[in-house]
Amino acid sequence: MTTLTRQDLNFGQVVADILCEFLEVAIHLILYVREVYPSGIFQKRKKYNVPVQMSCHPELNQYIQDTLHCVKPLIEKNDAEKVVVVIMDKEHHPVERFVFEISQPTLLSIRFLLLFKNHSDTLLSHVEQLLRAFILKISVCDAVLNNNPPGCSFTVLVHTRDAATRNMEKVQVIKDFPWIVADEQEVHMQEPRLIPLKTMTSDIVKMQLYVEERAQKT
Amino acid sequence: EQVQLDPSAASDKKIILLPCKNPPSQERVHLWLEARKQYESLQKGR
Repeated sequence: MTTLTRQDLNFGQVVADILCEFLEVAIHLILYVREVYPSGIFQKRKKYNVPVQMSCHPELNQYIQDTLHCVKPLIEKNDAEKVVVVIMDKEHHPVERFVFEISQPTLLSIRFLLLFKNHSDTLLSHVEQLLRAFILKISVCDAVLNNNPPGCSFTVLVHTRDAATRNMEKVQVIKDFPWIVADEQEVHMQEPRLIPLKTMTSDIVKMQLYVEERAQKT
Repeated sequence: EQVQLDPSAASDKKIILLPCKNPPSQERVHLWLEARKQYESLQKGR
């Protein structure tokens, strides 16, 4: 069967747009559910046809947007293996990690191209439905996680390859938002407990979300 | 004895990146929230 690459179809951009929009909602919701910031800065909105909590703090919103602007070129080129929202204690040691493991098909069949051309609305609505389930799972994840210590902060890690970093160099300069290689302290977690939250499989992207929680949080 | 490294393999090694800048601290966000509440109560009082 004839195959086309992701580049031929500009598929990377479609997937990156969808995922970055989703990750933005997911990050806001994680920060709300895990009480990283006071609940007063969050407002109820409707995304994916479900209620979510989104921050209205301008600096925080800009920070999340800048982060995702830099991650987007990596997702577009299928170079982001994992995007991780890390919640850290006062000593900057990770207490929880929300791991979004992303995998995209490298080759697409002509059959799928035709299907996408003719029924893109249906396919994208199906993806949206799958993403909705992730949002709902995040909104109730506090039931399966232990409370975090007071004074937590967060960061976003992206697992990629050295050669791929050139894809994000331009946007780092434009946004004045530089990225660095993580230290061991920022990555290592002692005896993490793994909590799977959701898995999705669609024609354009596969994704799984799990939480790694430190056994002793205090 | 010298070991030769494959440059293509070295440039393709897995890495973990994070933003150099930190997000706003809890304290900073608390202050903003308090200021907003005061502003809103002043607006209501007018």
